[in-house]
Order: sequence, then structure tokens, then C-alpha cells
Amino acid sequence: MKLRKFVNWIIGAPSFVWLVVFYAIPMLLVFLIAFKPVDPFGGIGKGFTMKTWFDLGNPSYPSIIWRTLWQGVVSTAVCVALSVPISYQLSRMNSKLKNVFLLLIIVPFWTNFLIRIYAWKMFLHPDGAFKHLLVFIGLAQESTTLLYNQWAVLVVMIYTYLPFAVLPIYTAAEKFDFSLLDAAKDLGASSFYAFRRVFLPSISKGIGTAIMVVLIPALGAYLIPDLVGGPTSELIGDKIAQRVFVDRNLPHASALSALLMFVVFLPLVLTSWIKKIQQKKQKSE
Amino acid sequence: MKHTLVSCAFALIAVVCLVSCGKPKQTLHIYNWGDYLADSVVEKFEKEFNCEVKIDVFDSNEAMYAKLKAGAGGYDIIVPSSYMAKTMYEQGMLADIDMSLLPNVSGNFDKSYENLVIDKEMKYTVPYFVSFTGIGYDPEKVKNFEPSWRMFEKPEIAKRCSLLNDQRETIGAALLTLGYDVNSTDQKQIDEAVALVNVWKKNIAKFEVDDAKRALATGEFYLIHNYSGDMIQVSMEKPAIKFIIPKEGGTVTFDCFAITSSSQNSKLAHDFINFMYRPDISAENMDEIGYVSPNTAAVALVSDEMKNNPVFNLPAEERAKCKPLLDLGADNEKYTKAWDKIREE
Amino acid sequence: MKVIRHSRIPFIVTLLTLVFLYTPLVLVAIASFNASKYGGSWAGFSMKWYIKLFHEPDIWNALVKTLVIAVISTAISTVLGTLSALALHRSTSKLKAIYYALVHTPLVVPDILQGISLLLLFVTIFSVCSPLLAPLGIKMELGLTTIIIAHITFCMSYVTMVVLERLHEFDNSLIEAAQDLGASGLYTFFRVTLPLILPGIIAGALFAFMLSFDDFVITFFVKGAGDTTLPVYIQSAIRHGKNTAVLNALSVVFLILTFIIVFSGQKLLTMKTEEHK
Repeated sequence: MKLRKFVNWIIGAPSFVWLVVFYAIPMLLVFLIAFKPVDPFGGIGKGFTMKTWFDLGNPSYPSIIWRTLWQGVVSTAVCVALSVPISYQLSRMNSKLKNVFLLLIIVPFWTNFLIRIYAWKMFLHPDGAFKHLLVFIGLAQESTTLLYNQWAVLVVMIYTYLPFAVLPIYTAAEKFDFSLLDAAKDLGASSFYAFRRVFLPSISKGIGTAIMVVLIPALGAYLIPDLVGGPTSELIGDKIAQRVFVDRNLPHASALSALLMFVVFLPLVLTSWIKKIQQKKQKSE
Repeated sequence: MKHTLVSCAFALIAVVCLVSCGKPKQTLHIYNWGDYLADSVVEKFEKEFNCEVKIDVFDSNEAMYAKLKAGAGGYDIIVPSSYMAKTMYEQGMLADIDMSLLPNVSGNFDKSYENLVIDKEMKYTVPYFVSFTGIGYDPEKVKNFEPSWRMFEKPEIAKRCSLLNDQRETIGAALLTLGYDVNSTDQKQIDEAVALVNVWKKNIAKFEVDDAKRALATGEFYLIHNYSGDMIQVSMEKPAIKFIIPKEGGTVTFDCFAITSSSQNSKLAHDFINFMYRPDISAENMDEIGYVSPNTAAVALVSDEMKNNPVFNLPAEERAKCKPLLDLGADNEKYTKAWDKIREE
Repeated sequence: MKVIRHSRIPFIVTLLTLVFLYTPLVLVAIASFNASKYGGSWAGFSMKWYIKLFHEPDIWNALVKTLVIAVISTAISTVLGTLSALALHRSTSKLKAIYYALVHTPLVVPDILQGISLLLLFVTIFSVCSPLLAPLGIKMELGLTTIIIAHITFCMSYVTMVVLERLHEFDNSLIEAAQDLGASGLYTFFRVTLPLILPGIIAGALFAFMLSFDDFVITFFVKGAGDTTLPVYIQSAIRHGKNTAVLNALSVVFLILTFIIVFSGQKLLTMKTEEHK
């Protein structure tokens, strides 16, 4: 068994070291550099300072953070709300049809991210076919602009992250035994009641994963607001990019990143903590 | 199945190697503004000097500076505006120019532009293009046009117009509108300018440079804050497009060739700058790009069509309305902070 | 027995979602045949943007660069990822939890955070090492190497996860049986474990390849001069409104290629599961 342990060390070490050097240390560096001063020419200064952190108290930041949060939450909610009926539908289909539909949903998922955003930029063009259609049916005026506002950002976010939400929920739904639903209905439950009390709880794990995989990238979104957003729809991600690529203020970018990291890891840590407590409870019972 | 996959992988690697290897040519890396160098000219240079030219594009002086500061070495030639070049030179980011390698420059440079250039002795920069900043618009779409920066407040063009995403240019436009100096370092004046830009910001679609040109040409935007030569390029696509200098004044900047201190191809870089000053080449470039080069012999060779274009050949009284952007040294930070305030609100 | 009616709502939602997913893409496909350069209005059917696409050296150069990066980072991340999956699977050590977190969290961290953290790492390393290496004539700067390091880092975790899943699926008793029969560790690995997890490794490698091929954000943070990968080219074209007509054609080519890859991948997977049955 000693040999086994030794072999394990050998095969585990390269990737472990790699991740420590190129993942863990850089993440810690983000926190460290947030405490460094910036020199006026865009370098990282000497010594340590709390100034950058106080700058985050700047009254304009809360609005950016708030916008990032609500856009993240709303897009996650919509993605999950759409994915549940889709997964339900997919898992009830016969396998041939199912494969076709699954393929249709996965293809956009694998299509280059930038191309999907670009497609929306074309789609929402103020002189495009969609706009003319909206004007024609009276849903929009000639002067309405569809692009360059936070609604455009929200719609494109939902669009790009939707397949991320469908896949985990579908995987969970496929394992569901649909005769349970029929049984519930046989016993007199309404369709919706059966759906809510029998189907939903059994796919809750998939829903949890879906929330994670949509919410977290949505909180860090940078390209979508940059390309389809307007001057007042900046998110934390844009701000980080601006600090790096235009202002050359790495400490400030670091402080913002640290904040984002905190927002991202908080739900992760919380959920694993809750799980641990539940496991303990179960054990004691 | 396994075999097909493996052989596919090998074939792919082989193709990649074949394409990427076997090219011992010298490469010149240029970091430039978008649409600022004619493709045909670059091709000629590549042929004549048996080398490869690679061009990356930036939006603003600040973005270019940030990228270089981030350790993006490897660029040989960059094209900063005069005021930014000075900062970069003081930072040791630019190499000295060897004028003995640039006979075309010393022979053809038009001295009448000298007062606009910060580095008059051409120690670290060689002037490339002079560019004026003003308003480009579509007269068919914008009724009641007035030659004023105040246009950005008009609700008729709400969300159909854009300002430059360049801190000095956009805050500068507001300073001019308020009747202040475009290089003002007075915090109170800058604050007022910020307040004005914030009013405009509510009305515009985006802070944008290059994509605004496409948007103007496709009718997505009606009125944009942009540079003279770029507006000539748009009017080549859509002749109705007009460009004016607002009555409150505009800005004028010299964009210059500079060689980075990290350049490995200093000789080739000098060759390129010298090549760009060859009258026939410079004229061809001007015809394509629509900006004026300070090159006496070349301007004479520019096509009549371009010469007669009032945006290319800006009349003296329009020219007089444009103020040069200067290097502000430590006061530059005031603009960075002000720009932050604008972006954040 | 009473007839159970299924609600039509899920089906309708699914159909509408597909419409939502495909309408913008279809519009781009239509625009790619529009002769007009800026695509404002219909100027007649034309294939010229496709022809132009194949004669655009910048796109081909970018494609080659993207492939080089993707192939190298896929190869390295597949090896590292598979090894770490094996180690994680076999390990009983206390470090396992930390190791697992180290592998798992990169999957959920937003790409912009990975981008900036790696940039900070490289900047710090350069600022420390450059003065030491300068006399030797070695220059450290952002470039292909830093891009490949970044890609390996974010691809590796995906490979590990996919392979790990595969390892959990099959019966450990097979390996134990082989070992009971006196097979050496290496022999068991190459003759039993490896063939069993190979589909997982291939799937992981494919995944890594696609991720590397598609990445823009992280690449943008750590790239140097002239490192124009295909996504960087596309972003620049969108950002600067240049060549949008060619971009339409490129999108369609991408879409078709993706379709073929996903379709054959699906076929491959169903074949595999049927074999197992």
C-alpha cells in the first residue's frame, strides 16, 4: 500500500503543482495587489496602502454592483424557468426526436461565444428586420432603440447562458421516473400540483447546478455589456477590463476582482456548508 | 474509430506545422489606430523589403499605453498622439530616432506644421497624420443641424449618436463648449465639463470610435463625434455624410510614428517610416485613408478628388478653430479621474 | 382507467425557445448572402463574402495560431488532467479535499477573474525576473507561451472532471481482479484502466480543444503583440465594425462546422452506449 501512495503522489503532483502555481497563487495575488498603491504611470508602486479599498466606497460603485447582481439573478431565474419545461419535454420524447432537439439546443452552446453576441447585434439593429416587424405590429416606435441598453444586455445574457442551464437540468430529468407523475395524477393530483411536488424536487440537484453555471459567469460578464450595452449599462466585469486595458490601474482592478471573487465564492461556500450540516444531521438521526 | 481519431490528430498537427514553419521572414509589428494605414501600401512594403507586417489596432492613446505597460512587448512601431508620445518617451518606452536612416523625412517634411508638433527635433517621433476632431452626421436624418457640440443634447437624435471613448477628446469637447481651454487643468472647469458630458451621456448610444463609423454608414447612428479622415472614409461609402468642426471649436492632434525601446527590428522600423514618407506611397496612403500627412511632395500627388474635398483640405478658418491637445504631465490624472466619474455614473 | 392528459405548455416553451435560439443566427445566415457591404438593406444575392473569406490571409493566420494553441494546450491539459483524475480517484489522503477544491473551483470562477489573476502573475514574475535575465539577453514578455499556459490551466479541470466521472462509473473490481491475478500496476493500467477510461479521455480532450479554440476573454488578458487568435480577430472585427460582411460568412461556416462536430459527437456517444448494452 505504501507503493500505491507513492505512485499516487507521483501522478498527482504535476497537476497539483500546476494548479497551485497558475491558479491558486494568482488568485491570492489578486488580493495582495489590491493592497498595493498604483504609480502615476500605470505600474504597481512600492509599499502597501488601503486607499484602493476605500475607493470602492465611491458612491458610483454600489450602482454597478447592484446592476451586476440583479442582471445576474434575473438572467439565472429566466434561464432556469425556461430550462425546467424544456428538460421535462425532452425527457418525455422518444429517443429519435429527443436527439434532434438536444442537438438543436447544444449547437448554439458550442458555437463561438462572440459570434452569438454578434448575431444579436445584427438582430437588434435599429434598421433591421426585427425592428421593422416590431414597428409594424405596433410594439415599438420608429425611434425605439433596441441595442445599447441594459435590456439588450439581459436578453443576450439569457440567450448565451440558456444552454448551460438546460444541460444539467435535462440530465437530472432524464433519470426521473415519469410513472411517478402519472401515479400522482391517478391519485387525483392536478397536473401542475404533481409537477411541482413530484417532478421539481427530484430534479432539484440539476437546478442547483444550473443556477451555479449560469449565475457565476453572468456575474463576471464583460463582453456582452461591452458589445451590446450602452454607456449606462456597465457591469463589474467591464469595470475590471477598463481598469486593466485603459486606465492601467492594476491595484484597482484587483480590488474589484477580489470583490467579484467574494460574491462568487460566497454562495459556493454557503451551499457546501449547508450540505455538511445536513449530512451531520442525517448521521445523528 | 480510435485509429481514425489518432490519425486525424496527427494530420492536424502536421498541417499546423507545415503552415507555421518555413517562414524565416522578418516581421514588423505595428500597433496602430483602426483604418489608419492603407492595405495596399503595407503590401508594397512587404514585397519591397521581403518581410511580413502585422498590425494590431487600438481605440485610444490610453488603451495603447495600458497594453504596452502590461508587458505586451514585441511591437516595433506604435502610432501615439504627440502628447502621449512625450509621456512614453519620458518613461523610457520609446527609442531614439536615427534621422540619418530617414532621408525621405528630412527631404519632405512640411515645416509649416512644426508648431503643432511637440517633439519638434524628431528625437523620438516622426509626424504621421494630422487629424481634426469634430462632428460627422447624416443630413438626411438630422433635421435642424447646428454646427455645435450642443447637438448631443437634442432629443431627436437620442440613442442614435455617439461620443468618442477617449478621455481627452470627449472632456475636451465639453470644455470647448463651456468656453474653456481644451487643455484646462483647473479642477472646477473640469468638473463642469464632467457634468456636461454626463448630460450628453444620457442621450448617446455609446462611447465609441471605429464601430461608430460602421453605425453611421448603415444608418444605425445619425451623428457621431469622430476624426476628419475617418469621416472621409465613411463618405466614400455613403456620400451624403458630412463632417464639420463645431463653432465652439474642435481639437487637432498629430499622430506620430515612434519606435519602441523594446523593438528588435529597429532598422526595418526605420525603413518603414522612411518608406511611408516616399511621396508616391504617402499620396497613395492619403488617398485611401483621408488624412493629411505633413509631406510637401506627397500632398502634390494626391488625387484631385481628395484635394478638393473640404474635409481633407480643411479651410484655414476651420483649422483655426481647432486647438492642439497638449501633454499635461501629472495633471493628466485629473482627466483620468474625471473620465472615471463619467463612466461610473 | 382515466386518460391522462399531458400539458402542452412544456412543448410550446421548447419550441419558442428554439425559435429564440435560432432566429438571430438565421438572420446572420441570410445577411451573409447579402451583396451590400454594410448590410443595411438587401442588395441582391451574392456569394462574394464567402469567396472573400477564403482569401483573407488574416483569418487564415488567425486560424492557424488558434489551432496551434488549441492542439498544444489540449495535449498537455489532457495528460495532466487524466493523471490528476487518477490520483484523485485513488487517493485516500487528507490533501484530497484541497486537491479536489483546486481542480473543481476553476470550473466556476468567471473567466475574467482567471484572466486578470494570470496577468497579475505574469506581470509580477516579469518584474522580478527581467532584471536578472536581461544581461543574458533573454526577454520575458506576454505572448504565445503565456496564452498556452493560461489555456492549459482552464482546460485541465474540465478534463479531470470528465475522466473522474468515467472512473466513478466503472467497477473498481475489474482492476482489483486483474491485480489479484498477479498483473503489475503498470500492466493493469495500460490493459484495463486506460481502455476503460479512454472514452472519457477523448471526451475531455475534445472539450478542452473546443474551450481553447473558443476562448477570448482569458487570451485577451495574457496575449502579446500580434497574437491574433480567431476569437481575438472576431472581437476586433465586431469592436471596430470592420469586415462585418465577411464576419457573417465566417459565422455561418462556424455554425455548420459546429453542427457537424456536435452531430458526429452525439452519434459517437450513442454508439458507445449501445456497445455497452
